[in-house]
Amino acid sequence: MSELKRLSEESLTRQPEEVFDVLEKLGEGSYGSVFQAVHKETGQLLAIKQVPVDTDLQEIIKEISIMQQCDSPYVVKYYGSYFKNTDLWIVMEYCGAGSVSDIMRLRNKTLTEPEISTILHSTLKGLEYLHSRRKIHRDIKAGNILLNNEGHAKLADFGVAGQLTDTMAKRNTVIGTPFWMAPEVIQEIGYDCVADIWSLGITALEMAEGKPPYADIHPMRAIFMIPTKPPPTFRNPEKWSEDFIDFVLQCLVKNPSERPSASRLLQHPFIKNAASASLVDMIAEAKERRLEMQTRQEQDFGDSEEDEIDSGTMIPRDSNAGTMVEHGTMVDHGDSGTMIESDIGTMVINSDEDDDDDSTMKKISSGSGEKYTPSFLEHFDKLDRERLGNTTGSTGSSSSSSIQSQQPTVPIGEDRDSQRSFGRPFTEGDFEFLKSMSYEDLKTRLNSLDPEMEREIEELRKRYQAKRQPILEAIDAKKKRQNQGIQIF
Amino acid sequence: MYQQPSNSGEHHQRSEVMVPPNPHLYTEIPHWLKVYAKAPFEHDHKLKWELFKLPELDFFQSMLTRLYKEEAESVVNDYENYRLALINENRLRQKQLQEKALDAEDNIEIKV
Ligand SMILES: Nc1ncnc2c1ncn2[C@@H]1O[C@H](COP(=O)(O)OP(=O)(O)OP(=O)(O)O)[C@@H](O)[C@H]1O
Ligand SMILES: [Mg+2]
Repeated sequence: MSELKRLSEESLTRQPEEVFDVLEKLGEGSYGSVFQAVHKETGQLLAIKQVPVDTDLQEIIKEISIMQQCDSPYVVKYYGSYFKNTDLWIVMEYCGAGSVSDIMRLRNKTLTEPEISTILHSTLKGLEYLHSRRKIHRDIKAGNILLNNEGHAKLADFGVAGQLTDTMAKRNTVIGTPFWMAPEVIQEIGYDCVADIWSLGITALEMAEGKPPYADIHPMRAIFMIPTKPPPTFRNPEKWSEDFIDFVLQCLVKNPSERPSASRLLQHPFIKNAASASLVDMIAEAKERRLEMQTRQEQDFGDSEEDEIDSGTMIPRDSNAGTMVEHGTMVDHGDSGTMIESDIGTMVINSDEDDDDDSTMKKISSGSGEKYTPSFLEHFDKLDRERLGNTTGSTGSSSSSSIQSQQPTVPIGEDRDSQRSFGRPFTEGDFEFLKSMSYEDLKTRLNSLDPEMEREIEELRKRYQAKRQPILEAIDAKKKRQNQGIQIF
Repeated sequence: MYQQPSNSGEHHQRSEVMVPPNPHLYTEIPHWLKVYAKAPFEHDHKLKWELFKLPELDFFQSMLTRLYKEEAESVVNDYENYRLALINENRLRQKQLQEKALDAEDNIEIKV
């Protein structure tokens, strides 16, 4: 069977259903769903990402055509795209084993050093290729490193991710979920290819520890911590080799002009001298788990479709149905505290023992982890997990009311911005009142601090969304009129 | 062993930034826009945004995003200070409790 290199002009003018048979859904991201499909003519398996889009597509189309010119075994191939009603269909190479983050989740296990170095090697090759063409990926993370059935790792979502992100972000008042973002990207001071290298360092930590640094704290807090704090490091450095630690250290240099390029990192001993691991066993195990889960689901729910997560609605945190809170994306779905699902935090780290996939599994105790985050954050990690398990209804609202009743009265009018501070359990700069508080009350306050902050940030987000909305509508209307103008002349 | 290979592309990459800084990063935000951002919503409908030109509207929406980021930063900072105060006070109390417990033990030993 001849391998599909690209879609013919003719097949690109036809309706996509005539060209492909769309099969099962492979997964869902922040912008749309990905389906498995067969190219009818050649019988080749493909993946099709279906993204709902509105206006402003010129840029995306341009970007896709550039992606189509990319031809590297380390970058997922893009074959072409279609418009189908209000959806954009992006046809790409099928990677049967799914993403590295899928595999971690399915096996409920993080990766070993040889596995990580093998994947990083391919990823660096992919980045070297893109960067030599002066292309920045902009969304490097375990969820965007795909593995095919032979166990070869490839970069996905290059370009499209960036473009969609830009257009979507404009609509959603967001400064996104920042865990993989380089400091210079967050600061908006301009950036280039080495921004991907920072994200790669974060991805290395993600593969080793199951989640990126700061994943448990409020994304808004993370946004301001990444540029101001020293670079993140391993929670338990003693568990990892010197070479691996040094590799991550090199990637996570805050000053972009001192960060090494992909080509240079390919020479790093962790990549160069590593015994390359075969990823085939890992993939087989993940597939087995996936099948098990599918059979179990079919037994439990018949053939009912899983609930679509509607962007803009709250994702229930207390649901124990394994709701995957979406993460790693630039668009905030209104779930203000999109902290990464805590069941990732219970993943087995760097261990070969195999267990049931229930969430009673405990992460190997993380010690003090002082270099990684201040130790008090560990405390909040725990609080967060407890909260995720206990609360009913929307986050924070229930616990905050009892606290508010015992707060000292905020002298309204004295405060510069009474609107914002209203309902706050404290007055900025004056914490004397804590001294007269009981130990129990102090603990209650510590517990409710994050939900309080989350509530305030959510209110802020809503206000700005509402304030930007009429401007965005005016922009849309003007653009539509412009486009019509182009068609007329 | 691990030396920097002479990579001609690398130098080129460094000398210029591919994605330029946010052009409005240090631009002064019009006072009326700040007022608009803080004001209650009730009068918002009176504003006729369509009278502005496209680049102006783009500027306004990106200024609002900046204001949002700045305000969020100050909220986070306020809570960060509060967090610190809480943690310090908490730690102090814990120490006091421990000392009390130790004292109590001492007393018992003395009595024995
Ligand atoms: N080319 C592909 N081959 C096989 N599976 C794929 C392919 N592309 C995506 N998938 C699957 O579909 C899922 C969703 O992909 P998608 O890119 O939409 O979201 P994501 O990468 O998880 O998050 P984001 O929206 O931030 O990119 C992936 O996690 C993966 O399991
Ligand atoms: Mg993706």
